[in-house]
Amino acid sequence: MASLLIENELGVVPADETSARRTLLLQIAGLERTLARECCEAFPDELELTALPHGAARIQNLEQLEVLRDALVGAVAEARQALVERERRRESARDRLSALIDDPRANRRERITQAELGIGGCGVWSAVPRLGPMGRLMGWWRVKLSSGCPLAT
Amino acid sequence: MTERQISPGWIAAPVAAEFPELRVASLEARCVDPQSDPGVAERLGLLASRFNGRQAIEMRQAAVTAAYRAFYRQIGINPEEQRTPAERAALDRLLSGGNQPQGRVADALLLALLETGVPVYCFDPALVDGPVGIDLTKSGTLVLADDVQELGELFSEADNRFHASPKQRDLLLVAVGAPGVPRITIDESLWLAESALTGN
Repeated sequence: MASLLIENELGVVPADETSARRTLLLQIAGLERTLARECCEAFPDELELTALPHGAARIQNLEQLEVLRDALVGAVAEARQALVERERRRESARDRLSALIDDPRANRRERITQAELGIGGCGVWSAVPRLGPMGRLMGWWRVKLSSGCPLAT
Repeated sequence: MTERQISPGWIAAPVAAEFPELRVASLEARCVDPQSDPGVAERLGLLASRFNGRQAIEMRQAAVTAAYRAFYRQIGINPEEQRTPAERAALDRLLSGGNQPQGRVADALLLALLETGVPVYCFDPALVDGPVGIDLTKSGTLVLADDVQELGELFSEADNRFHASPKQRDLLLVAVGAPGVPRITIDESLWLAESALTGN
């Protein structure tokens, strides 16, 4: 039977394959749960992750289990990075909205969607002149949230 | 009413060594009428009306679905490529806009799946020889099998040679419980399917 070398505080020691397999299976189950949690966290966005191994139902050998475990570790890291980047974009959108509300005239070209803010719906925040052309000439601007999704065409 | 006897299935030794908590169980049932039962159709309708896209995503964190997803990974199936039975049913529900009645047998299997998360398969007892279990083929594939033959790849719908026809009366219900799924949940899936078939 193939044996493994596992390094611990006592140094490099052989370990039996059964316990290595059990550990890998537990790690894979744990990583799958973590990945599922990150996918739920990402909703309604869909995480674009590197494709993971897929095949028929089978008992995988040690090497396949290790490859899968490492791929899942990579996928979890990718998912977390995607969520961090999304939060950064939302933070930036919130800052832009704050600036728009503070000074609509200076930020009149700004358009911030609800999706950018991480809020459901299709509304868009923008600056519009009060009283139409009169407001535009006089510099009277206000912030408006559009009423929502456009009608299907 | 006769007592319903669930038979535990067998797991081949190398599979049991790898997955000691993996279970398979079966129950013989009789379908009283191939037409959809209005009561079961109504229950399916109620289950469909309480369902939305967020729940379809979040169900992967539900205990039973999470157990199947973890098991899928462990046996080399990517659950994003080949969805677990409960997630596939959820996706079908979202795409079709409801749980449409499709005959008593299909309705009973769907009801058991939606209520418990455990997939129940329906075999023709005349084609099955002995108790059903999970075996390992020479090529290393996990299959459902009886004493003499393979009945189909585990969790695959591709091979339905041994499945019961929709109009068949005598049926053999088989449930596969992933490691971590409580035995009572597996039994409940079989009872639910059987009671939907018999109308009790």
